[in-house]
Amino acid sequence: MTQTSTPGEEAQLSVELAGIWKTFPGVVANAGVDLAVRRGSIHALLGENGAGKSTLMNILAGVYRPDSGELRIQGLQHQFRNPADALSAGVGMVHQEFRLIPSFSVAENVVLGAAPSVIKTRQIERDVAAISHKFGLKVEPSQPLWQLSMGERQKVEILKVLWRDAQVLILDEPTTVLTPSEVDELGDILRRMANDGRSIVFISHKLHEVSGICDEATVLRQGKTVAGSLDMATTDSDELAHHMVGTSPAIATRPEAATPGRPLLELRNLSADGDRGVCAFSDVNFKINSGEIVGVAGVAGNGQRELADVIAGLRSPSKGTLMMDGTDITAASPRRRFQSGLAYIPEDRLGVGLAPRLSITDNAILRVYRQQRRGLFILAEKAMAYCSEIVSRFGVRSGDLNGPIATLSGGNLQRLLVGRELDGEPSVVVASQPTRGLDVQGVKAIQDLLLDQRNRGAAVLMISEDLDELLTLTDRLLVMEGGIIRAEFDPGTASRHEVGMAMLSHAQVTAQS
Amino acid sequence: MRRKIAALLAVCIGLGFVLTSCGSDDGADTKAAFVYVGPVGDAGWTYAHDEGRQYAESETGVETAYVEAVPEGTADFANYVRDFIDQGYNVIIGTSFGYMDDMLALADEYPDVVFDHVSGYKMNDSNFGNTFGRMYEPRYLSGMVAGSATSSGLIGYVAAFPIPEVIRGINAFTLGVQAINPSAQVEVIWTSTWFDPVVEGDSAQALLDKGADVIAMHQDSTAAGEKAEAAGARWVSYNSDMSAFAPNAFLTAPVWNWGPRYVEIIEDAKAGNYTPSAYWGSMADGIVDLAPIASDVDQSVVDQVMDAKASIIAGDLHPFTGPITDQAGNEVLGAGEVMDDGAMLGMMFFVEGVIGSTG
Amino acid sequence: MAFGIGLAIALFLGTLLLLGAGHDPLRIYSRMFEASLGDPDAWAITLNRAVPLGLAGLAVAIAGSMGLWNIGAEGQIMAGAIAAAWVARIGGDWPGFALITAMLIAAIGGGGLLAVGPAVARAKLGVNEIITTLMLNEVAIRLVQWLVHGPWKDPDSFNFPLAPMLPDQARLPTLFSRAHFGLLIAAAVIVMASVAVRYTAWGYELRIAGSSGATARYSGISLPKKVLTVLVLSGAVAGLAGGVELAGTADRLTETISNGFGFAGIIVAALALMRPSGVAAVALLFGAVQIGGQSIQTLGVSSSVSTILQAFVLFGAIGAGVFSRYRLSLDGGSHSIPEKAKS
Repeated sequence: MTQTSTPGEEAQLSVELAGIWKTFPGVVANAGVDLAVRRGSIHALLGENGAGKSTLMNILAGVYRPDSGELRIQGLQHQFRNPADALSAGVGMVHQEFRLIPSFSVAENVVLGAAPSVIKTRQIERDVAAISHKFGLKVEPSQPLWQLSMGERQKVEILKVLWRDAQVLILDEPTTVLTPSEVDELGDILRRMANDGRSIVFISHKLHEVSGICDEATVLRQGKTVAGSLDMATTDSDELAHHMVGTSPAIATRPEAATPGRPLLELRNLSADGDRGVCAFSDVNFKINSGEIVGVAGVAGNGQRELADVIAGLRSPSKGTLMMDGTDITAASPRRRFQSGLAYIPEDRLGVGLAPRLSITDNAILRVYRQQRRGLFILAEKAMAYCSEIVSRFGVRSGDLNGPIATLSGGNLQRLLVGRELDGEPSVVVASQPTRGLDVQGVKAIQDLLLDQRNRGAAVLMISEDLDELLTLTDRLLVMEGGIIRAEFDPGTASRHEVGMAMLSHAQVTAQS
Repeated sequence: MRRKIAALLAVCIGLGFVLTSCGSDDGADTKAAFVYVGPVGDAGWTYAHDEGRQYAESETGVETAYVEAVPEGTADFANYVRDFIDQGYNVIIGTSFGYMDDMLALADEYPDVVFDHVSGYKMNDSNFGNTFGRMYEPRYLSGMVAGSATSSGLIGYVAAFPIPEVIRGINAFTLGVQAINPSAQVEVIWTSTWFDPVVEGDSAQALLDKGADVIAMHQDSTAAGEKAEAAGARWVSYNSDMSAFAPNAFLTAPVWNWGPRYVEIIEDAKAGNYTPSAYWGSMADGIVDLAPIASDVDQSVVDQVMDAKASIIAGDLHPFTGPITDQAGNEVLGAGEVMDDGAMLGMMFFVEGVIGSTG
Repeated sequence: MAFGIGLAIALFLGTLLLLGAGHDPLRIYSRMFEASLGDPDAWAITLNRAVPLGLAGLAVAIAGSMGLWNIGAEGQIMAGAIAAAWVARIGGDWPGFALITAMLIAAIGGGGLLAVGPAVARAKLGVNEIITTLMLNEVAIRLVQWLVHGPWKDPDSFNFPLAPMLPDQARLPTLFSRAHFGLLIAAAVIVMASVAVRYTAWGYELRIAGSSGATARYSGISLPKKVLTVLVLSGAVAGLAGGVELAGTADRLTETISNGFGFAGIIVAALALMRPSGVAAVALLFGAVQIGGQSIQTLGVSSSVSTILQAFVLFGAIGAGVFSRYRLSLDGGSHSIPEKAKS
């Protein structure tokens, strides 16, 4: 997008990035990106994982320095050397990982790093309260941070930026930690800030969110701007999706159902406690038959994670029975369960499913290393061969298989993990948030793999927060709320609205992590 | 401060020596190296040895060097000694008991080097001897001062390890106390360390809390004195005159004066006639002494102590003269008998009046 | 390259330090080198020092590769030495080979035994092993003191607190100069441990557990069992260091037998990035720096200046290796970024 702007137009633009290049060893992250953000608008920055969104925004926020390109804020050219430079020019960023101190109060966290040498607590708390009131950020300045939910913590991060009087706010995938009602609330807050004359850059890869909140959208693909400042009022999601993936994405059509067979997984009155000893879910009863995908919908923190852990054997139930293909496995070890055909794709991929400090090969053989031994030793060639087979069969794009797993991108990590779990043709597959954070192609690949398993005759349990995904893929849909199965739907006929209401049916829920 | 004056003094004397000897290079072939167990700044044991080294250097004109804080029972000691010998040092003096067997072995390995060991008992018949002092003599005198200073009748004694050297000191001290104040008692706490200011201070405090109003010690730091000062009690230090660390508490101290002995060893080595001996020097030889007594101590007490000192030096008084009874009341030494050196070197009992055990 | 830069910076800082303390840096540096690596005799002393450092470092690294901190190597060294000394007491008339073998096995057992408590507490109850291993150091030192001052006091020592000398056949044989056989033992153990961690199923499970405990449980590895074996093994290796030190360089059990090797081992392991295979090189460098650094005291350098100088060289040289994994941007930027950047 090369635009020659008249002085009048220029004054309207709070951010102008032109021809931004940034390379990392072996990766071109930004290859001549352009971006223009109007003052007082909410601007979506869209793109798949790896499209260069985060890099671009880190450049705008002074974290990285571009190899080349121009950067203008409020019409003035800048070269930021660090985030402090960017802040003094009025650009602040809310990162995906929060940078907060749990034992500090909200107000103390807000002024952290920029506090005057003498901290006047009352004065600061008054200032913070004034800002939060102005923009509808409901947090109590004197409350210690550890008492706050993830959504509230995000507000503290936004307050941090506002307290430093940023005119341009960058939010990096802000909705991933939020409940649906919190997403709406965030939309309101952003609108108030825009009406106050500030500009917001909203990074996302979820189309439906963006259409409700943003005024304009810029789409990046493979490090380049493919569509600049589209007016959201006149652009539909199909067009945006088209820009993001290049080809028209498979519009969600329900795949043919397979013929269900005998029950392979059965939960009888299953209950378990969470990490803090409080009941996480109770009296859960359901069966999954061969050739069936059962979905569990719900807002995060309503017992789904614990449910998956109990089925996989990583958490002991407090009560109830777990049957697999007619056998009681309630007390079986995780290894025993895997050997009898239970595959588990955990929600926390790098923390539970993979060993982040080890190599790709070491991670690939996690389930089968005992079969690759001679005496005490693991046979390196055998392990390597197994790994390359998984890599090629499941389309994992990787460099050196002996390189650290952390060099893989999110989508490829998940392909490796899913491929490893599905390699032995399991009879039961438990998949927890299997497509979260993946780009469109990654999502499609993982969904296809799960469908293949179902069609092969496996029983699949799919736990997801993506309602659209569940409605499209599953044969039956359970809604979990407050640790209880609240409702069961036929995904073929149920409406999004109906299911959503069931998810929020009872006492107000907040996502806790 | 004291060290600075001492150093200044040493330089002056050294200068005087150089001027008078006028370029004499008698000492050119002899170099003496000292290995210390503690840091020279400990104000105690090692400090006293380093004073002696400096004195010997200025008296003999022989080049000296030292290494400090060398642990016992590790390879470090032998490594250092070999380093020194490589550099041409031919007199090696080790000042901690635990160096003994290393020195014995090294003496065999380097027959041309003179080894002298402070506080040990082993020797050979060609180039390895040992040196120590009859510290019990000034210990006895310091006990007399302490006995006059206590009003509670309880004197605390912070001591390192229950070995003959320390036990002998406690007994001599107690006999000195009883010479002035027959009913006073001496309570001992073992610290299991030669140098640990925290432990030493805590032990002193425990004794003060029990009612002791004078603290004596067989330790290398000044921590006990600082506790006594804070509690308004009195203190008998050890190794060197430590009055600067607790000016109000300080009474006196049995002190070491290694310089003359070191001069003797180095001169013998230089002259090529060092013969190993088990040197156990006395107050008469000057290797041990009593530090000046605090000015607020009654003159009559000072006179009594000075009389006793003169008698000891003259050989008329021996601290371990019978009758001596042990804690259980058994007579270990009959009236009028004087204990022989062998019995003193192996002493493993407490005399009557000591509270504590030698285990 | 980075190693050279680090060393250069260290030597530069050291030069300032030495000049400030009134010494001739060139003379001091050449003495450091001569005394540690200058000739076979110097190498022997350095290698003898590297042996306990390497074994202690390995002990810490084995625990560290599973994310556990064994701060008790110091005490485990003492426990190993006590056990070996005990065997030497009862087996004084056994033939040398049998006696030494029995001593080293006892040392391994002694060190391992001292680690059993913390291992069980950690595995079964989740008690932090840092605290428990650290506390047992105190127990071990008291035990040595009690033995040396009490029951194991040499009856011929006139009541001086001194354990008897080891019989001659309880000493490790000499390889060259004064370098003792412990060198080969340490090298073999380090190689074995490195291979075990890198290539065996046991080591694989260890690395998984070290990378993420949740992943280990997920794949069916029993974490408590792993914690137990790894901590006890770590203690056993430290115990071996005590046995080797006793039979190799010390002549008898003393209160200072561990000589700080257990704590230095933590530094060795950390600088080797908790990799058993990196321990040997770090221990050798560490040993050379210690021996060289101590030696310059004989030139009149005070022990504190010598210690600071040792720290400079050690952290300059090895620290450079650690930091060379990061790219430092020197073109005016005030921050450095890891090479692997997320796009």
